[in-house]
Amino acid sequence: MTWKVNLDERSDEMEYTHITPRPVLHVDEEACGNAILCLKCVKACLEAGPNCIGFINTEPPPVGENAPQRLEDIPHRIFTSVMVNCNGCGKCVEACPKGALTLEMPEPQLPTVRVQRSDIIFCATLRDGTRTFPRDD
Amino acid sequence: MCRYCVEYGGGTKWYLNPDNYRDELYGSGAHKATVKMLTGVQKNSFEVGAMTIADESCPDVYSSDSLSVALEQMIGHGGQVVPLEDALKIIDLCKGPFLLMHCACRRYFGKTDSLRCLYLWGVETALKERPWEKDSKVLSKEEAKEFEIECDKKGFLHSVWHAAVDSDGIPPVVMCHCTATDCIPTKFRLSYGVVNAQRKGEYVAEVDLAKCKEGCKEYPVCMHRCQFGAMRYSPVDRVMYIDPQACFGCGLCRSACPYGAIKLVDRSSYPSLVDNW
Repeated sequence: MTWKVNLDERSDEMEYTHITPRPVLHVDEEACGNAILCLKCVKACLEAGPNCIGFINTEPPPVGENAPQRLEDIPHRIFTSVMVNCNGCGKCVEACPKGALTLEMPEPQLPTVRVQRSDIIFCATLRDGTRTFPRDD
Repeated sequence: MCRYCVEYGGGTKWYLNPDNYRDELYGSGAHKATVKMLTGVQKNSFEVGAMTIADESCPDVYSSDSLSVALEQMIGHGGQVVPLEDALKIIDLCKGPFLLMHCACRRYFGKTDSLRCLYLWGVETALKERPWEKDSKVLSKEEAKEFEIECDKKGFLHSVWHAAVDSDGIPPVVMCHCTATDCIPTKFRLSYGVVNAQRKGEYVAEVDLAKCKEGCKEYPVCMHRCQFGAMRYSPVDRVMYIDPQACFGCGLCRSACPYGAIKLVDRSSYPSLVDNW
């Protein structure tokens, strides 16, 4: 699948907005502490399948004499990526021993229908009441 | 041919143009900051951090407007899939030595076997600024080639990554060996369609159906190698079909085929793929 982005030729199809619903994982960074010492949520998400949770250093470590000698010496935090793959199983929240994670599920979405022709109201009923195919009665 | 080869190819592919491997290119203009960022201490923050921002700035996966935001972020540093023979040519074009270091995507998402990033440039910076990477290895040209062949056997696809694009060139900095399920830029390409994150290779795989029919028959060994879902097995014909629109041209299926039934052809030999990167 290729997405072509051409800002000059926006088609009419883009006139409506539809925000892709996906869960949001809130991380209490104070409660979490240095994430690399634990990583239970990362493993839980990896084992559950989506693999949306990762860890990253909070800021670039110093260079020179004060440079950290082990990865564990660098402060890390938890982050999420490609959350459209998250199915909301909640195993990361269960795995966290410090209760630092909250999973916020999106509002349930109603399926929407886009009517292509302006003179059709329902699938087979036109605006003036006539039908496109005869009824049984 | 995408614009990188038109503008920086010099008549060939951008990553095979020796002009892009000039020493002064790595240390000048817009490239300097990106090369420093990719090899120095900021590497992990940049790699994974950019991905987080891209995820947040894509509120709507189906809207081209929010995608263009993510696209902008990937323009500075992007990659392209290369098959094994081109990967070996890239190694030949570089001076060396090469540095094998941990891949941010793999390690930071809890995966093992994360020694997958082969730096073509900036070995000294990386060793100096990142002393905690104790198990990174400095490889000679021959060892780097062995590593490429080993990755091809294991089923890791090769991709070459460039630093910032400037008017004077597009220097390749790192070779990545990962799978589409783990590589974050590839995920961004496949989930969000951010083309600049990971471009398709210059080739497309083609099956010689006559050879394939007499080969594996019921249990095709090439099928599990495809990272992009481009291979379809027909249980009636007992052959593999490749969807050229989905193929990234990595050549992993070809190296798995025991009967030599798969070959790579130039992408431009398909009129519909000329603009499909």
